[in-house]
Amino acid sequence: MLVEPDLIEKARQGDSGAFNQLVAAYRKRILGTISRLIGRPEDVEDVAQEVFVRLYYSLDQLRTPEVFEPWLYRLSVNACYDYLRRLRRRGEYRMADLSEQQVLMADSSASGKRSDEDAEKVRLREFVEALFRHVSEEDRLLLTLKEVEGLSLKELEKVYRVNENALKVRLFRARQRVLKAFQAAREDGKL
Amino acid sequence: MSTNLNDQRLDALFAQYRDACPEMEGSPDFMPGVWRRIEKRGSVAFLLPRLARLACAASVVICLVLAALVALPGLSTAHPSASAATYADALSADHSAEKTYYTESIRATDNLVPADYAR
Repeated sequence: MLVEPDLIEKARQGDSGAFNQLVAAYRKRILGTISRLIGRPEDVEDVAQEVFVRLYYSLDQLRTPEVFEPWLYRLSVNACYDYLRRLRRRGEYRMADLSEQQVLMADSSASGKRSDEDAEKVRLREFVEALFRHVSEEDRLLLTLKEVEGLSLKELEKVYRVNENALKVRLFRARQRVLKAFQAAREDGKL
Repeated sequence: MSTNLNDQRLDALFAQYRDACPEMEGSPDFMPGVWRRIEKRGSVAFLLPRLARLACAASVVICLVLAALVALPGLSTAHPSASAATYADALSADHSAEKTYYTESIRATDNLVPADYAR
């Protein structure tokens, strides 16, 4: 845990200073997670703020400080689902659909500052996001939490409140689909 | 064997992807923004639409309960003959009403007979 249980307890009792410290401690991690889950950098901060607002209003329901992190991840996943649902309703698409490479080229022609290293990172991100498009949005989020964020099955069980075996099956199927797409891409020489 | 190799390659790709994702700090307005939202959510302006939504949800639930009460035969308070198989069954089941009308009509006829005619 990034903070002491005492701090969580203080925030739970309504101490706004403690809540500020809590946000400061987890801000970077939550911003990173949300950025990988929703794939739209311009909306990451908005969704992260929503997560912390939800945290503020639900802290009194937290039974013990030990389950704080899965609780926070759960709030983040739910906020991402809500955001993606809103996006679907509005008929908008993820930035990756617009080709990140095109965005990069437009940027570099404007500023001329983007390095080759950055371009390689962008290409890698675009490639992985294209692989993730072979699974459903729910499975993409689950797979990202497991494979990219590094959450264990026990932690995921607490986040999703689903039996570990059910999670294993879902993860296995999702990973197999991504693996198949990965193999196909390798055979096509895309990587 | 090749599947295992591809599995390892995929794991390595995920690790590279994690490193390739930019670190985000958030703008300096992040925390003030959080507090603004918290205050907004706690205000009446936020509570009113919420209450309206709750009222809508409650009315839908009440409608569903009432519909279930009407639709389910066991819970219905309608006349027992209403659940009879045919119209004839319903008529034959409705003894009390028939008797009442019949008796009442005889009584009414009795009262209408003029006294001298009755003699």
